Amino acid sequence: MSHIILTAKPVSRSVDCRALLPLALQSKTAAEIGAIKLAANLSVLDAFEVSVDVATEAPKLTFKNTTSSHQYIGFGMTTGQLVVEGDAGDFLGAQLQNGVLICKGNAGARAGDRMRRGMLLIEGNASDYCGSDMMAGTLGVLGSTGAHLGYGMKRGTLLLAQAPALQATWIDCGFHKLPFLNILYKSFKLLDSRFAQISSQRVQRWMGDMGGLGKAEILVIQA
Amino acid sequence: MVINGVEIDDTFAEAFNMRGTRILITAQNLRWAYNAANAMTGFATSVIGCGVEAGIERELSEDETPDGRPGVSVLMFAMGSKVLMQQLETRMGQCILTCPTAAAFAGIESEDMISLGKHLRFFGDGYQVSKQIPDANGKLKRYWRIPVMDGEFLTEETTGMVRAIGGGNFLVLGASQAQVLTACEAAIDAMRKLPNVIMPFPGGVVRSGSKVGSKYPKMFASTNDAFCPTLKGVVKSELDPRVESVMEIVVNGLTFEDIAVSMKAGIEAACSLGKDNGILRVSAGNYGGKLGQHHFKLRPILSGEVTA
Repeated sequence: MSHIILTAKPVSRSVDCRALLPLALQSKTAAEIGAIKLAANLSVLDAFEVSVDVATEAPKLTFKNTTSSHQYIGFGMTTGQLVVEGDAGDFLGAQLQNGVLICKGNAGARAGDRMRRGMLLIEGNASDYCGSDMMAGTLGVLGSTGAHLGYGMKRGTLLLAQAPALQATWIDCGFHKLPFLNILYKSFKLLDSRFAQISSQRVQRWMGDMGGLGKAEILVIQA
Repeated sequence: MVINGVEIDDTFAEAFNMRGTRILITAQNLRWAYNAANAMTGFATSVIGCGVEAGIERELSEDETPDGRPGVSVLMFAMGSKVLMQQLETRMGQCILTCPTAAAFAGIESEDMISLGKHLRFFGDGYQVSKQIPDANGKLKRYWRIPVMDGEFLTEETTGMVRAIGGGNFLVLGASQAQVLTACEAAIDAMRKLPNVIMPFPGGVVRSGSKVGSKYPKMFASTNDAFCPTLKGVVKSELDPRVESVMEIVVNGLTFEDIAVSMKAGIEAACSLGKDNGILRVSAGNYGGKLGQHHFKLRPILSGEVTA
């Protein structure tokens, strides 16, 4: 398995990155990756500098210098690790099926939308509708979260370092020390992420979205 | 063969194929990990009456457990996979789920993964939560979080089931009950330091060894009269006039080598007390070699030959 690095070039339009996934780019040369069409008149090479780096155990893809113009990063990812060293646009990790997606910067709207499995870790802020319609999995945000957090969320966990805005359809279940967080934090320690620094098992737990299934949870880490 | 004045009989222990599993039990502290494990391994001395044979293998430090809490590992053995699965689920529900702060995790990997919390999750009445989290090797493991009155009960979904062996044994024959018990305690202390084995009887020691059959038609096992010191002269006894007490140590393990190594350690520890402390002979229980698939020959094992 190889580590593919896509360094964003300055762009004046939004870039749809849904074709750029760790597994899909494996066993491709830099030239082959560069030739992939992102839109009718936009190839990967128009939007990114491509390099294929050292061998890794699992498929790995790193985006560098990205901005909020880069949308659908990690859309439908099924395996491997995807790291965003920059900001991400809307639909970061939407429909994530499995694997680990780490965003070092801020994320746009609908991060983790309809995500089914895996981990999406946002070290910066997440915009509106974060975790919307999430089916399962774990979505962590160290920064702030926007409006309509967890809108329509069915199952899964939103792990937040900062208290969110109150949601009418989310029920406050109080403060708890949850043993499973130790296992989750252990898995964070294997990652190159600020999430590895979290250690508090004490959280405020919310359940929702009561407008739908209501089996999801928001866990707000307490100091 | 004589060790420290103790005669080693030229005989063998006869053992059987079993199915085994390992469970890691953690809790807020060792006190509660032991409370859970002792309950889970209670009434699990012999498959004849208990369904399974189970015991605590060893203590686990915080670094050795999935959730970073202290714990113990438990080994459980049964004659078949169906019984093992049923007993594991029952004991998980009655002994671990119920124990304050306790959690349970897989202690062994195999191609045959059996339910640990897979069905127990329904106790959550719809409020149970599934989490898939990668382990240190990046392998995804599924856990269940079940809401309970003390907070959340955390359990891994499955644990491994492996082929194992049960019924390794040796008999300690001595001049008095107290001396034989002291020798058996030394043997158990030595054997408990070894991995992959348990001695399922109370304190690891059996005082009521049995033979197959009985004068009573409904009894399929009865006292091993040949080794009962009070019947010397009445039955065809295996005991000479000096022997006043016999005790047995039964050991189950994951492999033939595990059992052989533990038997060697146990016999050597018992013999270390020697003839001067009333330890006279070491023998083993068998059925003539016709029932069990594994024969643990005492003398070769004590000579360091541990292969099947």
